[in-house]
Amino acid sequence: MNARDMRQYENFRRQLGPVPRPGLMVLDVRTTQFVVVELVLLKALIGDGNPGLFVSVDRPHQYMVHLLDMHGIEHTSVTFIDTVSQFAATDTCRQARVGFFKGPNNIDMLPSALREWSSKDQGFDMAQCRFALIDNISNLLTFNGHEKVQRFIREFNDLLGDRTAVVLVIDRQRNPNLYHSVLAMGGTELMLETELKDRLMDSEEGIDHGRQ
Amino acid sequence: MEGNERDRTRLERIPSGVPGLDELIEGGFPFPSVILVSGAAGTGKTTFCLRFLCEGAAKREQGLFFTTLSEPSHWMLRFSSQFDFMRPEYFGDAIVYEDLSVLLRHGDQDKLLEAIDRRIAEVMPQRIVIDPITVVGEMLKDQYRSFLFDLTNRLKHWNATTLVTGEVPPGELYPPEIAHSVDGIVLLHLTEEYGDRRKYLEVLKMRGTNHSTGKHSIDISRKEGLVVLKARF
Repeated sequence: MNARDMRQYENFRRQLGPVPRPGLMVLDVRTTQFVVVELVLLKALIGDGNPGLFVSVDRPHQYMVHLLDMHGIEHTSVTFIDTVSQFAATDTCRQARVGFFKGPNNIDMLPSALREWSSKDQGFDMAQCRFALIDNISNLLTFNGHEKVQRFIREFNDLLGDRTAVVLVIDRQRNPNLYHSVLAMGGTELMLETELKDRLMDSEEGIDHGRQ
Repeated sequence: MEGNERDRTRLERIPSGVPGLDELIEGGFPFPSVILVSGAAGTGKTTFCLRFLCEGAAKREQGLFFTTLSEPSHWMLRFSSQFDFMRPEYFGDAIVYEDLSVLLRHGDQDKLLEAIDRRIAEVMPQRIVIDPITVVGEMLKDQYRSFLFDLTNRLKHWNATTLVTGEVPPGELYPPEIAHSVDGIVLLHLTEEYGDRRKYLEVLKMRGTNHSTGKHSIDISRKEGLVVLKARF
């Protein structure tokens, strides 16, 4: 991670706290920056070892595990839920605690699967979970209708949101409907460092960009 | 709802940086994707790729340039610095240069893939170039096809747009081993016409894109590098 990434990490830590505050959150990131920002965000969510979930819906979980390993980020407290590996023809292996789910087109069944895994004592305890990060959730729109994805977010948040930070990363410019759906469900916005600075300067100068 | 349908199907695209090309491919290369840039010696493949990386660097997108030619970065910079679009300060930070030739000499597919994976994970680029991929074929021989399958599969998951260059003998269009596993193929032609050699660009394949199918005249200029000219043939 370079100096810019570390500044972003500190920015997320300031907004999330050492133990991420519970509730639904959304972060607006350009699609091309997803990998970098999600890595930095995951580092901030893990903090000093917070237990949490990483749900991969866009690429096999091994890629995120590889990134965490390469950047020296301890991830033993993280459970990975992989919805794409069985379609990805990938042969890369990385050591991590992982549950495989039967495809992104069945995403609406994930909340009940999580409930079941947690109750069966399979190394994942929902009650201890402090964060849940879903990578590129708008990718689910490739496999599901908008309403099904919205319903999944609502049920996922109902399941975890009381005690867990449920964090979604969305490119608002590309998927404005999904982004605003999350806000309408009571989601709060996390902000990138540059965006925070811009808003601070704008509020001091009385400028409103009307991005909401 | 129409808006929702669009959310579902629209591909992210990144500008190629090559003047005149993006209007032929609906605004840019799909992101992420793996694109083959194919042509004979002297058609402008490396210039094309450098323009792509410099365009990214100007937009604060991280670049990673893998060379298979055992060419020191200062040597490559010496020639490419003649182009106005090239900023030497990009190289090192915004565009990381990586020489794969030493690993290639060992001819071990797994080690090569691991090295590429490791470097990508370290640098986390949005734009990657592998120039030229065909040299890998000469070194890996029997392992080449499985290497290409694994490589393109992994590259697609790294959330980057990758350009791989393929050098072909005059008269050949593209290296057939890799054509089926890439998302796009851009051909750079060099043909003799009335005693002159003329250059053309053709988009042969670009998945998810309503692309131009014509041959377009190109020029390589000091100012902009490779430029797609307006006239079509």
